[in-house]
Amino acid sequence: MKLHIVRDPADLQSRELLEQNFLLRHRVFVELEGWEALRRPDGRDVDAFDNADATHLLITDSAGALVGGSRITPLDRPNLLQTVFNGLVHGELPAHPSLGADWTRFYVHPDRREGRRRAPESAALFCAVMEYALSQGLSYITFVSSIYMLEHGTAVGWRITPLGAPVMSDGKPTIAAWIEVSEQALSNVRRVTGISRALMPGDRSPPVTAPGNAGFYVR
Amino acid sequence: MNADLMSTIESIQHQTSSDAILNVMYAALGEYGFESFIVSGLPDPGVDVRPFVLLSGWDDEWYERYTSKGYVHLDPVARNCFSTTLPFDWSDAPYDRENDAAARRVMQEARDFGMDEGFCVPVHMEGGMQGVVSLVGKTAHLDEKARLELHMLSLYAHGRLRYLNSPLSRPVVRRGITPREAEILKWAATGKTASEIADITGLTPRTINQHCENAQKRLGTNNRLHTVVEAIRHKLITL
Repeated sequence: MKLHIVRDPADLQSRELLEQNFLLRHRVFVELEGWEALRRPDGRDVDAFDNADATHLLITDSAGALVGGSRITPLDRPNLLQTVFNGLVHGELPAHPSLGADWTRFYVHPDRREGRRRAPESAALFCAVMEYALSQGLSYITFVSSIYMLEHGTAVGWRITPLGAPVMSDGKPTIAAWIEVSEQALSNVRRVTGISRALMPGDRSPPVTAPGNAGFYVR
Repeated sequence: MNADLMSTIESIQHQTSSDAILNVMYAALGEYGFESFIVSGLPDPGVDVRPFVLLSGWDDEWYERYTSKGYVHLDPVARNCFSTTLPFDWSDAPYDRENDAAARRVMQEARDFGMDEGFCVPVHMEGGMQGVVSLVGKTAHLDEKARLELHMLSLYAHGRLRYLNSPLSRPVVRRGITPREAEILKWAATGKTASEIADITGLTPRTINQHCENAQKRLGTNNRLHTVVEAIRHKLITL
């Protein structure tokens, strides 16, 4: 499996991958998980936060097919957590927004979720998110998700703190929380998932220095 | 969220033994009126549950009986975990009261051990594995807020226990490099380029690069600088 870090504007190959990502996200979040607010007639899940601020962490298999992804958006720019999901946040962020990022649209290709194996795609994304966060000098990552993420995160040795009480949303227990970013968190998730190598492409990933910096660094 | 709950969550995540988590959970669950609980994975039909149990606060005799007689496969509460993602009261676990004598017997025996009511949290893990946190005690007084809090606490406990039980033996990135790699990294640490190191060692620049890449793989690092830093940090080279 290979990690691609895609920002906009990207090169042609990355744009194609990004387009596949939008289609797959629509299939996962709208068609399978029933998130109707995201439904679009063109079958692409693209929202206001898929802009130049967003970084997409995309995983492809050995044949080059997209098998999972996540979106990371800065917290000092408009983001999902502090707009759409603001009602779930009651506590303070653990540090200045520039030190954090919001993790959204985490998914694994539906065909890869079958069976009893521990999905390596999901394991790779967990590792990739922590590795990326460390490389960007972040100290925390926020997320809003089903409450089960608390179990999956703590099971890989991450420290997770709720930002508000869990609430029922569309019949699903939902929570906003933040994950502590640390070398320990990376080493724990690597040990538990058995992914011991770095996933980020070589030295092509300098920290994003300015919000909205329109650089790209994709192999 | 109230401060007690936040500190319980914090505490669960800091514990490094199952016993310590048992104590933290007992203290927290007592506030909600629960007496004991169990945290376990749920095996496939016919498989012994004992290796899946992460933590048991059950009465010893009942635990012995339940696990040795394969009750987990008959128990309507355990079975219902496979059909719902939401927590439920034991009394709401469906079964055929007329015809399912085995299920009826398990429920009756549980009552005989004073476990007639409880709250069950199914845990769906990645890869389709199924777990459960089952709390023993009365549930009628629980409102939605309390139920969500118990749900959350249970998931933290399950996740932390799963982490503590994960195979620690898995080779933590092998922190070993060969003497040749160490020698080359030492030169790299002093700022020498591949071709300079090649001149010093009598190897080709290509070989130097290959050694660096091998060391990078072994250490799970991203680039040459990262490799040198990690090698120093783990005292694989001294300058």
